[in-house]
Amino acid sequence: MTTDPVAPLALMQGASKRRAQGESVFELQVPDLRIAPGELVAVAGDSGCGKSTLLDMLALVMEPTRMERFEMRFDPDGAPVDVRSLWLSSGETALAALRRDYLGYVLQTGGLLPFLDVAANIGLPSRIKGLPEPGAALDALAERLGLAGCLRRMPDALSIGQRQRVAILRALMHQPRLVLADEPTAAVDKARAGRIMADFHALARERSVAVVVVTHDLDLVRSLADKTYGFLMERVSEHETRSLCFLET
Amino acid sequence: MERPARPRPLRLIPALAAAHLRHEWILTLCLVIALAAVIAPLLVLLGLKHGTIETLRDRLVEDPMFRELRPAQTREYAPEWFARAAAWPGVGFLTPTVLPLSSVLQIPHPRRGGAELYDLVPTARGDPLLIENGAPVPGAGEVVLTTEAARRLEVSPGDTITARVTRSRGGRSEVAEAPLNIVAVLPPRAGTLARIYAPLDFVLDVEAYKEGYGAPSRGWAGASPEPFLSFDGVMLLLPEPLPPIERTGLIINTGFARIGELDPGGVEERLGLAAPDGWKGYDLETPGATVTLSAIRAVEQKLRGRERILMPYVTEVTWAGAGVHMHPVGISLEPADAARLGLPPLPWGGFAGRASEGRQWTRALANIDTSPVEVSVPGVVPVVFPLEIVGASPLARPVVPVELMGILRTAQQRAVEFDPASGGFLMLRGGYRGFRMYARSIDDVPGLYQRLTGEGIEVIAEVEAIERIQVLDAGLSRLFWLIALLGFSGGVAVLVASLYAAVERRRRDLGVLRLVGFARRHVFFFPVAQGMIIAGLGLGAGMVAYMGLAATINRAFADDLAPGEKFCTLPPEYVLTAVVATLLLAVLSSLAAAWRATHIDPAEAIREQ
Repeated sequence: MTTDPVAPLALMQGASKRRAQGESVFELQVPDLRIAPGELVAVAGDSGCGKSTLLDMLALVMEPTRMERFEMRFDPDGAPVDVRSLWLSSGETALAALRRDYLGYVLQTGGLLPFLDVAANIGLPSRIKGLPEPGAALDALAERLGLAGCLRRMPDALSIGQRQRVAILRALMHQPRLVLADEPTAAVDKARAGRIMADFHALARERSVAVVVVTHDLDLVRSLADKTYGFLMERVSEHETRSLCFLET
Repeated sequence: MERPARPRPLRLIPALAAAHLRHEWILTLCLVIALAAVIAPLLVLLGLKHGTIETLRDRLVEDPMFRELRPAQTREYAPEWFARAAAWPGVGFLTPTVLPLSSVLQIPHPRRGGAELYDLVPTARGDPLLIENGAPVPGAGEVVLTTEAARRLEVSPGDTITARVTRSRGGRSEVAEAPLNIVAVLPPRAGTLARIYAPLDFVLDVEAYKEGYGAPSRGWAGASPEPFLSFDGVMLLLPEPLPPIERTGLIINTGFARIGELDPGGVEERLGLAAPDGWKGYDLETPGATVTLSAIRAVEQKLRGRERILMPYVTEVTWAGAGVHMHPVGISLEPADAARLGLPPLPWGGFAGRASEGRQWTRALANIDTSPVEVSVPGVVPVVFPLEIVGASPLARPVVPVELMGILRTAQQRAVEFDPASGGFLMLRGGYRGFRMYARSIDDVPGLYQRLTGEGIEVIAEVEAIERIQVLDAGLSRLFWLIALLGFSGGVAVLVASLYAAVERRRRDLGVLRLVGFARRHVFFFPVAQGMIIAGLGLGAGMVAYMGLAATINRAFADDLAPGEKFCTLPPEYVLTAVVATLLLAVLSSLAAAWRATHIDPAEAIREQ
């Protein structure tokens, strides 16, 4: 099999997601979105523009209403996974397996499981994937992120900043190919947000993991991002809003 | 790219479910206590039901007398009946018995002298009355005594007593004796009567001796049981017709029911020869019944002084011998009567009316060159005997003594065998006059009672006592299941509501689980595992509570219970059933929550605060 050096890790073309709530209708349109292996992609925009919707589609937990092409190439030497076909064939288990093996996710407030301690939270994706316990590697990373004494604590005993760092570790520890971060620093002050993002970026780069960061604070990632996607919103009618995702140049 | 070795997401679900329960330990504890509060009373109730019924049942079961079915009437039971009845479901033991009067023994007191009467009861291998009362089944020359018999005789195991069997024969009193070794004395609960349990063959020999027969193996003298004679009818030949009044007289108080005139063909058919010229033939018979010797003697009495030839006949006996099938004719006539019928003097002479003097009857006039001929006659059991050919037959059919035909006709209805020692025939035992039957368990008694009474056999059994317990058991069972239904409904409601609420409460966490790689089907088992863990803990707590309560109850009623008895107890299979039922209900209760868990949209759930 030939290897295409520019083959995107994720490719979404002609996709849209239409959501209705009461009389209001919102439609996100994604004409062309590409994420290359190892790059950091910023997705920026105002509240309600569809950033999280885009992230959920990339996280394979939300089915696009329409999609012409949706592929993910987790194995550079292999054929791309046709996500569109999986959605169309109700391949829920296969999609879950892709999430398990290749994706990481950082939620706005960490998204840690409150009934597991920090170490168990970080190790959970690895255990689901069938990888050995992180062990010494986890200790080293915890040390580096200032979480050395926190591994046996429960999440509710951590500060918000610590939880976000734990969430970042959890998203990276099982060797994913793509990490999706939904405003990971929204709940911390600007100075702390900068340090968290720097750590996040450094760890992802070391592991050649592509990262998509959704943020409404573009300044935070502008210097780190390889490319940025923005949104152009328009009101189609009294009740319908449309948002177009585009690559900022 | 490196592929994960062996992803096993499902295996992680129970641990995650347990961690979640541990995290919410106060809620979990409340649920466990709620379930234990349902399970413990149910276990106690079930234990009380089982313990009470089992105690009552054990008290019955332990005493084999409650499993006995005794015939209430004396009638004859064929050996085939015993073979059939022994195979009935629920029959634990069955042995024939004899007439009560035939099973009374005189036993002289070993020291004081003076004999007393004792009931002799047959026993055999597997007799529960003996075995379950700690006594061995006696062998040849051995007996087991009841407490009362041992008390009267002042004997104990190891002693020897002398059985004395008495009878009156031919106006003389006769006595036979046999030494019997006592191998055990039964406890009082096995019966209050003075009884002696002995092997069946000894009891049968006692019965036979009392009836006048001998028991050669014991050295007891007496007759052999010879078969009675039976016939199809009697042919009466007279030189002149019989007046109608006299004809009618022959069927009044004689045992015959019908008299008919015979034409020459009828005589030929019955005797194989023609009546003398001018003689009139009559046929005396009792349709559907056997003509016995007493009936023949009664007719002879009524024809006293009249010239006649009276000939019993048997029509349907045939046999095989010397390679041919034969249809003999039975004729026993005095030489003068034989001459009237154109026959030569018969070697066996006139009708003697007895089955004894056997050798005389196994003779024939036949057109066969060899002698004796081994003859086999079909019957209840085939009768095989050597037939001595003493001359050529004057008729087309072999001629034999009519007594032989009478014996062989009897052999069609009763077992008869040829006795080579005496050269005569012996009547084999036809049947027994009673039985001792024990059911395998008290639950089998009502069924056997029904079966026996269904066969027209009146029996005495402790059916009412057993049925009372069965009714009580059924009533308590219904009560238990009703309460159990209510209790389990409550338990199910608690589990369903709690697990469903837990899923709703933890939507975000379940969404995160989906996000990190669990599929719908994995998340489905999260509430199921929680339900099973809660049920298991509730069951464990319930069992601990049950054991404490059961111990308290059994202690409280200890004075009313025998050692080993318990009012509140559960056998292992009940405990196992409770465990399986509880876990099954937990699984069923968690299905609604599991269904809800699979329908959580992770994209929405992860952003809920």
